[in-house]
Amino acid sequence: MNENIEHTTPIFDVAKLKSNQFRVRLLRIAVGIFFIVVGLRIIHIQIVESEKYRKIAQKQYQSKVVLPSPRGILYDRNGNILASNATYVSFAADPMLAAEDAQAIAKKFSQAFGKHKNHYLNELKSESRFVWLERFVDAKYLNEIDLKKLNGVVVRREPKRLYFNDQIAGQLIGSTNIDNAGLAGIEKQFDVEFKGTDGYVVFQRDGLGRARPSVDYPRVEPKKGNNIYLTIDLKLQVIAEKALKKGIEDNKAEGGIIIVLQPRTGEILAIAQHPNINPNHFGKYEPDHQRLRAVTDLFEPGSVFKIVTASAALEHRLVKPDKMFYAENGLYSVPVTSKKSRKIVDTHKAEWITFQEAVETSSNIVMAKVSDIIGCERFYKMARDYGFGIATNIDFPGELNGMLKKPIDWWSTSLNTLSYGYEVGATPLQIACAYAAVANNGILMRPYILKKETDASNQIVRESQKQQIRSVISSETAEVLTGLFEGAVERGTGTLAKIQGIRIAGKTGTSKKYVEGQYEKGNYVASFIGFFPAEDPKIVCLVMIDKPQAGAYYGGTVSAPIFKAIAEQIINTTDVLSRTKNVLAKKIDHVPSVKSKSDTFNSSAGIVPDVRGQSLRRAIEILKMGMFEPVVEGSGIVITQVPEAGTYATKGMKISLICQPKQSTVLSLNR
Amino acid sequence: MSLEHKNHIDLSILIAVLSLMLLSLGVVYSASASYAQHRAGDSEHMLISHSVKVFLGIIALFIFMRVDYRRLQGLTKFAVVLAVVLLFGTLLLGGEAKGATRWLRFSSIGFQPSEFAKYALLFHLCTLFNKKGEDIKDFKKGFLPMMVWIGIITLLVMAQPNFSMGAMIFILSMIVLYIGNVRFKHLFLTFVSMLPLLTIYMLSAEYRLKRVMDFINGFGSDAKPDYQAWQSILGFGNGGIFGVGPGESKQRDFFLPESYGDFVFSIVGEEYGFIGTIFFLGLFFLIMYRGFKIAKHSTDPFGRNLAISITIAITMYALINASVTLGILPTTGLPMPFVSYGGSSMVFSAAAIGVLLNISAQTDLHPRVREIPLVGSIDADGLNIRKVY
Repeated sequence: MNENIEHTTPIFDVAKLKSNQFRVRLLRIAVGIFFIVVGLRIIHIQIVESEKYRKIAQKQYQSKVVLPSPRGILYDRNGNILASNATYVSFAADPMLAAEDAQAIAKKFSQAFGKHKNHYLNELKSESRFVWLERFVDAKYLNEIDLKKLNGVVVRREPKRLYFNDQIAGQLIGSTNIDNAGLAGIEKQFDVEFKGTDGYVVFQRDGLGRARPSVDYPRVEPKKGNNIYLTIDLKLQVIAEKALKKGIEDNKAEGGIIIVLQPRTGEILAIAQHPNINPNHFGKYEPDHQRLRAVTDLFEPGSVFKIVTASAALEHRLVKPDKMFYAENGLYSVPVTSKKSRKIVDTHKAEWITFQEAVETSSNIVMAKVSDIIGCERFYKMARDYGFGIATNIDFPGELNGMLKKPIDWWSTSLNTLSYGYEVGATPLQIACAYAAVANNGILMRPYILKKETDASNQIVRESQKQQIRSVISSETAEVLTGLFEGAVERGTGTLAKIQGIRIAGKTGTSKKYVEGQYEKGNYVASFIGFFPAEDPKIVCLVMIDKPQAGAYYGGTVSAPIFKAIAEQIINTTDVLSRTKNVLAKKIDHVPSVKSKSDTFNSSAGIVPDVRGQSLRRAIEILKMGMFEPVVEGSGIVITQVPEAGTYATKGMKISLICQPKQSTVLSLNR
Repeated sequence: MSLEHKNHIDLSILIAVLSLMLLSLGVVYSASASYAQHRAGDSEHMLISHSVKVFLGIIALFIFMRVDYRRLQGLTKFAVVLAVVLLFGTLLLGGEAKGATRWLRFSSIGFQPSEFAKYALLFHLCTLFNKKGEDIKDFKKGFLPMMVWIGIITLLVMAQPNFSMGAMIFILSMIVLYIGNVRFKHLFLTFVSMLPLLTIYMLSAEYRLKRVMDFINGFGSDAKPDYQAWQSILGFGNGGIFGVGPGESKQRDFFLPESYGDFVFSIVGEEYGFIGTIFFLGLFFLIMYRGFKIAKHSTDPFGRNLAISITIAITMYALINASVTLGILPTTGLPMPFVSYGGSSMVFSAAAIGVLLNISAQTDLHPRVREIPLVGSIDADGLNIRKVY
């Protein structure tokens, strides 16, 4: 072994070897340092800063797409759809993927939507991986834009509110904003219930922008919002709105409000308002017209407020209906101070009349005299008990408390003034509720508008119960009062509301409007409120007409006929009265002559046929035969229809058909 | 005497290199699957091709392991001349890839002559040290002839143009000259004279300057470095400590270009995390550590110089490649030895390791035991002591 080494190995020069060892050691150290540098960098990236880089990397390969949850459906009490969802589409693009086709995309969108080509080209130049091209456009554009030819364009189906009945109950229903959140009205009140939960899907993409097919994307389906059933009866709502419209046209009035409610429960059956609005275009209207004035606006009630005076007088047994009062022949001077006096005027001049006649003819003078007997405290308490000055706590946003001063704040004349309905501010709903209390044996009910809430599978989540607030007057007093109001319709100021064969109790009111510090001449609110049938009231109906300008301005001449028209419609064309008591049907039978001339609208109903699975052409034919109006979305085969088959719907109602081509080619993010 | 290896080869280097080669199968498969699917319609396309190269590499390793390295002394001159011819040939009739002619093709088999030239040059330098003896200190007799070879090869590689490879060959040559006891003065002069040349070269192509400027601009600031390096860093970061798991890389899906080639280390970092990167780096460290040890124990200067040359060539490549993927150095096109997809690097590096192992076998690092000790015997693998009765 040794000899081998000697043979092959030259002798090392010692000096050379030393210098060489030094050089090698230096090299080893240098390489070692290089290893350490690389190692430190690895620690920095993979341990210290790892989280930061991971997030950036994740952003690159993941994108979260929100799947909007459809809002719950709004129904009336009978299951007629008031608001549902239409599917709109939004077009978005991934600029990276779309780069090659950018010109073609811009051209196509420019043709379809009429915007300039550069608008889309600019969007497509974005650095981000997701840009909107068009949002919330009609689904018909899906037919115009062939996505197969345009790389990088994606479609998102967006549920958007669709209000089926256009102007009907516009302010009541309210509307949603572009994010599908409740903005006003019922939509706002029950926004949480309607909303549901948005879902999402996380997409993983590769560097070419393609979705990774083999990965299970975390996907959370949107949870549909709950459905709301209102106490509103679409049929009554339509009746009220038609009657209101006609009444306003006849009287050249500025506006008007009608409330129909059920006195036994407090359920609101209809709230009409004019000028009306279409919630599909909610934003277009003046804010003043967007409000539901029945709960958000205060009026001086005028003579309809005499319910408080009469109630207090009767309840405290201070006055009997046949008690005689001197009506001062229409002009009553009340001394305020030693020098000044104040005049109270009656339209119906009279000398000695009974209290009953005073109510029937709406004598301000007698009411003032009666109020002096009642006194401040008892009067105030009665007004308060009826709910004046306190919000009714109806389930609707923006309700006002009303304005009722405490006796300590009253002027010396306030009691008299209040007795015929001035110096007090009340919402139309408060007035309606007060009369409903009389109709309900003196018990004030909380008005409500939500009948029930159901979940997506239509299981009841909650159901409203009727709720007594307090007993305002005894049932005996209520009976006497009802008699007085019946007299007003039979013989007094409200005779234009009279319908033969049915007992109607009612009260008229005419109040001057207080504008900018004074009562303006020729600016009146004409009101009529009544309930029927008087022996077992089913309906309370308030009609308020704002600023009638066709000559007549009394509640008895302007509003009473509108009330009558509504009552006739209800009696003749609905089963509202017979629903609970068959006795009433007989009574109506005795009155064959009752037939409204103003019956111009067709409210007869039909059952919506099932057209799902039919071709679009066939579906339209079927619906037109049934006198329905199809609203088409998409093309091909009908996949969904709203309202559903079997629903009870008025003729001419719009039936929304959502169609899809036989083979869907659209990348649908919203399965 | 027989020129077969007398003693045992250095097992740690063999295991380290075989580990790298075998692990590279998994890494390259994962890193290339999407790309192969996209380009060839078969996700295993590149895995198969890579497996063949690994196999060829192992063959080359074992062949050179059994060839006495001293015999190479007589062949290096021929090899370096062959390298020059091949490089010329590449320039004249080579295949283009990414704007540069780096490939020489014989029918369907192509290879990069520069990989061969690198080792041929380094080996020849080691031969020249032995031949010249003390003349090595002389500028005319010793230094200049060596510089001629270095210059020719470097310029030919750079002319492809493959700047990073040329520069690497030059730097490695300088290191080898330094180990070969060339005067510091000569090395310094060479370095100074290179500066203007380097400047001219950098300015001659826009992309080179841009790369360097991008790198300088991106350093220390939050501005992104160039796209590829940035994606590579994101891959490392995404891996964190334990990695996202084998085959789970996201960056390989067209975020990180060349994920299977020069940037394969980033995929290691992403899929196997800090643990994986440190393990890979550790294997290279082991190669370096054992390589220097072999050099120290080698029985002749040629073996010693050769061992250092090979060790440095492999580890410098690995370190520079890692630095590029980690964003420490500007992006260059250097593969990671034994790991990156690519045949030439694989086969020639493996052959070089074979030579290194042959050197190791002729040192007294792992002696083959001839005499039976009095009380026991050492097992063939030199580990277990067994009692003899």
